[in-house]
Amino acid sequence: MATIDFGYTISKPRAIDLDRNNLRKSDEILREMPELQACIGCGSCTAVCTAGSLTTFNFRKVHTLVRRGEYQGAYEEMNKCMLCGKCRLVCPRGINTRGVALLIKRKLGDF
Amino acid sequence: MNFYAPFCLPFIVGAAVMFAVVAGKWSVWLWRLPRADKLRIARGLPSAATLRATGEVIGESLLHRRIFRIDPLLGYMHMSLAFGWFLLIAVGWAETIAHLGLRFVPLQGHVFFKYFATGLPHKPFFDLVMDLLLLFVLSGVALAWGKRFCSKALGMRRTTRHVVGDRIALSALWFIFPARLVAESTTCALYGGGGFLTGTLGTWMHDHISVMALMNLETAAWWIYSSALGLFFVAMPFSRYMHIFTEVPLIFLRHYRLQSGEKESSYDRFQVEACSRCGICIDPCQLQSVLGVDDVQSVYFLRDRRYGMLRREVADNCLMCGRCVEKCPVNIDLNTLRLNSRDAMHNVPDERRYDYFRGLDRSQGAGKVGYFAGCMTLLTPRTLTAMERIFTAAGDEVWWADREGGVCCGRPLKLAGETDSARRMMRYNTELFRKHGITTLVTSCPICLKVFREDYDLDGIEVLHHSEYILRLLETRRLTPDRRTTRYTYHDPCELGRGSGIYEAPRTVIEAVGELLEPAATRENAPCCGSSVANTAISDTQQLQIARTVTAELEDTGAEVVVTACPLCKKALGRGTTRPVADLAEIVAESLN
Repeated sequence: MATIDFGYTISKPRAIDLDRNNLRKSDEILREMPELQACIGCGSCTAVCTAGSLTTFNFRKVHTLVRRGEYQGAYEEMNKCMLCGKCRLVCPRGINTRGVALLIKRKLGDF
Repeated sequence: MNFYAPFCLPFIVGAAVMFAVVAGKWSVWLWRLPRADKLRIARGLPSAATLRATGEVIGESLLHRRIFRIDPLLGYMHMSLAFGWFLLIAVGWAETIAHLGLRFVPLQGHVFFKYFATGLPHKPFFDLVMDLLLLFVLSGVALAWGKRFCSKALGMRRTTRHVVGDRIALSALWFIFPARLVAESTTCALYGGGGFLTGTLGTWMHDHISVMALMNLETAAWWIYSSALGLFFVAMPFSRYMHIFTEVPLIFLRHYRLQSGEKESSYDRFQVEACSRCGICIDPCQLQSVLGVDDVQSVYFLRDRRYGMLRREVADNCLMCGRCVEKCPVNIDLNTLRLNSRDAMHNVPDERRYDYFRGLDRSQGAGKVGYFAGCMTLLTPRTLTAMERIFTAAGDEVWWADREGGVCCGRPLKLAGETDSARRMMRYNTELFRKHGITTLVTSCPICLKVFREDYDLDGIEVLHHSEYILRLLETRRLTPDRRTTRYTYHDPCELGRGSGIYEAPRTVIEAVGELLEPAATRENAPCCGSSVANTAISDTQQLQIARTVTAELEDTGAEVVVTACPLCKKALGRGTTRPVADLAEIVAESLN
């Protein structure tokens, strides 16, 4: 019996299993840029993002996933960043977001 | 006449090593120059540029005029060592010729002439002049010693921390002239002659020291003098003193219009090794004066790059404000060199990057005048609305390039060293400007302005900073703001002032709407707001620390409003002061009736 396509699908599970993910790169990133742990995930960086207004690029999402060890596609996604630095000016936690963007690209270049 | 004695050996070996290494280095660097640069040299050689370069060599390599402008005593110290030593050599040759006529004399014969010339009749004129010159150089050495203990007296708050090789060369240099004084004096003590310095000291020695001891002392003194020279010459091409010879070809090449670019090139070697590590770049650096970061300044950057031990932390930690460039007595293109080092470290040629630019166009309106807000102006919407009011008041039809979002100008990425990717942005924006047929491009962001002027190929499109555009409107009476009594002070943005040479336009505009009060450090000496996009290394707290020192100076003027002409500076200064910070466009728009 053919499955009827109702236009709906079941989402894949989105849980991140920190025990299974390889956190080596994530640890390295946090060691070099410990201030990233001060992130409260407010999303101001993404709200003002120049690249984010042109594409689906979401800086908060990328660095949050990277910190959880989800590196898949992060490098390519990060490469959409133009490094203009607006995110750094609006970050309420004063995180050096441009430094974070460069660091993620440097660490994940081979992924 | 025999011109050889065993003590000459260290000098001869040293000089041979030095000339061989210097010639070798120069040949390799010249050989590796790109073809276009070689052609520039070939075309420049028979032109007036050579004459101008010769003039500059005398003015800078010998007289050190630019250092005099920083501090007269410091200038005198450098001049006495360079020009004094040069004259000692030149007059020494003249003395040899005066004594012996035009005949071949080996190098050591000229240098140690006093030793070999004991049998010749005295020429009091040369004795006097040579002693005067020796005193001239010795005064420089004394000042150099003094600078170790109290650099402030010579106008330097901080001096360079030297590496071991430099310390060896430095010590050898300091010993050369006192050793020469003692050596020549002992010879005078034994054989008579000499001027007011060597002669007098010689007579004193003759009266107080036995002939036997004097003869031993003479040999020892000439050995020490020759060894100090030899050691200095061997160390020279590998130490900071390589600048003595390298600044000369650098000045010529610069006059032949060779330039450092966004990629490392062989010409950079001339610039890197022309750095004397004088440390004049340290004092203007705010990372040093405000934050106490003391290993990233241009002198250390160039040193590390020269010896192949440049770390990313050093290359990246710089505001690129250009304050050190203003002061560099060798006029080294410090920012460009740092940029191409960053390029060598960070550039990733990625062809697929920024593919999302294709077909993108969010611009609005139509007109011959284009306005590019730039990312930062989009974060300071007051500037944007003020510009809109100004455009309306002036009756200009405007094409808005990026009001609803657009592609960055590319300079922030270029400053981070990702040059090839930045080029993709530049290509996109250039095509966008061409497509809409604008003839004037106005931007309110000096970062964008600098990259438009320097890296974009915008022939036929006039690029203006909004301060220049507003000034033009005022001059043609298309804009008639009311002059009020508000007292303003103005902060020079780095990219606008030192970066693009625009100091007058914003000041004239401010004076058209109110009173302008200058802060203590202004124009070429204006400090950086601290938030420069060129620095990805310092923290938020550090940026704020720098901003506070800047706003403190601006507040000291007693102005009611702090004005700047850069959205980034506006953001940065706003965090450091309780006074209102406004963009130039805002205060003009407010004064429109």
